[in-house]
Amino acid sequence: MCGIVGLHLKNPALEPELGRLFVPMLEAMTSRGPDSAGLATYDAEGMHVIKDVGLPRDICAAHDIAARSGHQAVGHTRMATESAVTSDHAHPFTPLADLALVHNGSFSNHASIRRTLARQGIACTTDNDSEVAARFIARELTEGADLEDAMRSVLKEFDGFFTLLVTSGTQFAVLRDSFACKPAVIAETADYVAMASEYHALAELPGIGDARIVEPEPERVYAWSR
Amino acid sequence: MIDPAQAGLRESATFDRATIAAIQRAAETGVYDIRGWGAKRAVPHFDDLLLLGASMSRYPLEGYRERCDTDVVLGDRHAGNPLHLDIPITIAGMSFGALSAQAKEALGRGATEVGTSTTTGDGGMTPEERGQSKHLVYQYLPSRYGMNPDDLRAADAIEVVLGQGAKPGGGGMLLGQKISERVAGMRTLPAGIDQRSACRHPDWTGPDDLTIKILELREITDWQKPIYVKVGATRTYYDVKLAVAAGADVVVVDGMQGGTAATQEVFIEHVGIPTLAAIPQAVQALDELGLHRKVQLIVSGGIRTGADVAKAMALGADAVAIGTAALIALGDNHPRYADEYAAIGSAPGFYDDFQDGRDPAGITTQDPELAARLDPVEGGRRVANYLRVLTLEAQTLARACGKAHLRNLEPEDLVALTIEAAAMARVPLAGTSWIPGQGF
Amino acid sequence: MVALNGSSVQELMKVDLASTSVRELNAELHAPTARRYEVHNPRGAEAIAVGLRHAIEVEIHGPAGYYCAGMNMLADVVVHGSVGTGVAENMMSGSVRVRGDASQSAGATGHGGLLVVEGSASMRCGISMKGIDIVVGGDVGPMSAFMAQAGRLVVCGDAGDGLGDSIYEARLYVRGRVGSPGADCVEKEMRDEHVAELGQLLADAGLPHDPGEFRRFGSARRLYHFAAHNSAAY
Ligand SMILES: Cc1cc2nc3c(=O)[nH]c(=O)nc-3n(C[C@H](O)[C@H](O)[C@H](O)COP(=O)(O)O)c2cc1C
Repeated sequence: MCGIVGLHLKNPALEPELGRLFVPMLEAMTSRGPDSAGLATYDAEGMHVIKDVGLPRDICAAHDIAARSGHQAVGHTRMATESAVTSDHAHPFTPLADLALVHNGSFSNHASIRRTLARQGIACTTDNDSEVAARFIARELTEGADLEDAMRSVLKEFDGFFTLLVTSGTQFAVLRDSFACKPAVIAETADYVAMASEYHALAELPGIGDARIVEPEPERVYAWSR
Repeated sequence: MIDPAQAGLRESATFDRATIAAIQRAAETGVYDIRGWGAKRAVPHFDDLLLLGASMSRYPLEGYRERCDTDVVLGDRHAGNPLHLDIPITIAGMSFGALSAQAKEALGRGATEVGTSTTTGDGGMTPEERGQSKHLVYQYLPSRYGMNPDDLRAADAIEVVLGQGAKPGGGGMLLGQKISERVAGMRTLPAGIDQRSACRHPDWTGPDDLTIKILELREITDWQKPIYVKVGATRTYYDVKLAVAAGADVVVVDGMQGGTAATQEVFIEHVGIPTLAAIPQAVQALDELGLHRKVQLIVSGGIRTGADVAKAMALGADAVAIGTAALIALGDNHPRYADEYAAIGSAPGFYDDFQDGRDPAGITTQDPELAARLDPVEGGRRVANYLRVLTLEAQTLARACGKAHLRNLEPEDLVALTIEAAAMARVPLAGTSWIPGQGF
Repeated sequence: MVALNGSSVQELMKVDLASTSVRELNAELHAPTARRYEVHNPRGAEAIAVGLRHAIEVEIHGPAGYYCAGMNMLADVVVHGSVGTGVAENMMSGSVRVRGDASQSAGATGHGGLLVVEGSASMRCGISMKGIDIVVGGDVGPMSAFMAQAGRLVVCGDAGDGLGDSIYEARLYVRGRVGSPGADCVEKEMRDEHVAELGQLLADAGLPHDPGEFRRFGSARRLYHFAAHNSAAY
């Protein structure tokens, strides 16, 4: 139960600005998730993950996120539902070196999928339902699926409510369950794709007034790659 | 007819007569059974707890002469105008539609007479109940039947309903027999249809969105009205934490025995946790947040006596709510209707067909002739009397434990008679220091 | 808040949400000292202009968040921008016009008044509507008019899947494609009275389409009673 945000830059000229553009997005989601926050940024060196307990503003300041450059960022503010408030339980979940998943919602059959994965030697390190989805997607990718196919497999296996944003070194993908009760809005311009739980997280982005805004339809994978 | 026991016939424990009747009914009709009342199975309950009265180590208070206060303030966390009730026993939300207008009015009159609150239900606020209720809590439900911002502003508190103990995760039902012209008009539905209400709210899902919904309700009422969140008892520990995180002033936890006007039998009997198990979970959640007694906890589901009230409060509730017991006080299931119950295939003590609208006591009906049997003034008197008895009983027990205020009852004043109750209520088995289930 | 003239009831008041809180704005709108309001810098804030109950005009310049103009009575609210979830939810009377797009549950449970979304509305537009009129210039998303009880929903573009699922007595008019009608929702004949009411709604909304281009949907009324043969639809 949370707020999620993501920014995928298409225009390399904006890359030095990544952190500056991203921090207000995450901060705007504070009321949706006041317990803890986390984020991943991507640059030429790979993915960098920060997770911490506390308010997004303090976490961003402590790690000087505004100064970060790169081509992509995802973030999450958490209102814990059934698992503990610790930095380990914060999103994003990052089961592969370049894979990050953030989730808003609540799965209803994750315990069974967790057991199936465990039998295959894939162990979750927290009791968080979102981690199960992250490890499930990682398994699909490791077995050769591309990200879009892996996300479609989520639709087949997972029950419950979810808006998911998943990123890899090159890809940015959004998916909602068939009920699509958890909010999501995507803004696209020539310069970037941005996604958030609520529009006001996008309000400060340059050129947002002219962006193409869509709310993702249920059960459809929206993906971008560079 | 032979007496089966005399004849040495043996009834199956698995396929008992009620089960056989249910299977035959299903085969006959092809639809599930819908009924009123609450769970009828036996579950660990307040009867399985006892209070430790004072003797040498603790000093009792004198009955009648020495004060034992009962007042409670609800909703002072964020609301400008919290509720001040004289007794911690409130009337739970029961809809006009499920109940007759006369029954609603009687509940309002009874509650007002003893200085407590009553609650609207799924179907809106009637002028009769607003008029007769000094403290009226307005339910905000998924269906939003009759939802009117003027009523919201006219209410003394707002209760956002996520669920009910009888059916956590289920929506309401009201069968066609009870959708009279007036009920239909208030709900904007065609008269006579079988109405099903939604199980999720139409414009929010989950605690993050509820936070924004509560903000909206506060803005609309200028931060004056207490906002309650009502949940059916299931994952109570998490639900209470989330209700508080979303901004609730008061959390209402309704155990699985809680009553209903009309729900699938399978739902009533098989979903949720007993009231006894829910209270310690709720209190733990509030304690961990440092908000026990600051965000008030109202508990319902099977409250019948002042002993139940005292024990619920000892476990940490700030107040309780009653549904079924209030209807019984009005005359529900009274032996004087034995013949009439028999005519509709029931009997006093067994009648649960609240969905059917043919209530001989005139309570759960919209039939004008039946409803006219209940005089709201006399009904109000009976409800007030009953609430007084509950209060006196609770005070009697509290005084015996040396408490000058009901709220000073604590879990340490309780012991359990059974291992199950000890584990659920998290109090020791009587005569031992053993609380089973701790440490897991 | 800046008052633009000095009389006791001013003509116009400008409110900048960059320097004024939503709480201060709503408190003013609940006991209005002006007839018209301009709200600037809303930046998607939640619960803007909720619970209004006076015949005032409020123009919001920019995007608004959840529950904008929620539970409106009598007031006329215009948003020059997009709106979040639940715009005009449970509106009783008055009007709300969105010059951009609307997020989920637009006009949810509304009992009266007119909601116009000039752009598109996403999922669950008009869910559980109870008498409100909703006119959408563009498309509506899936599950719109779910359990719609009364009122009219006009969609000038396309409607997503599950339109009017479990609908009661609301009337739906769609000009474009319908993904799929939901349970118990069927296409119905456009009779003269329907052409006339639709023409009036389009005129009120200021959307000059020919009513003859629309199809009407409503309840088949087959799910009005619990019965064994309906069990697949529950
Ligand atoms: C006839 C009847 C109608 C009810 N209607 C509602 C309702 O509209 N909304 C609601 O939240 N709970 C409703 N309830 C549940 C009560 O508010 C309450 O949770 C429950 O009755 C408490 O348990 P008890 O009956 O054992 O006291 C209803 C209960 C009954 C018996």
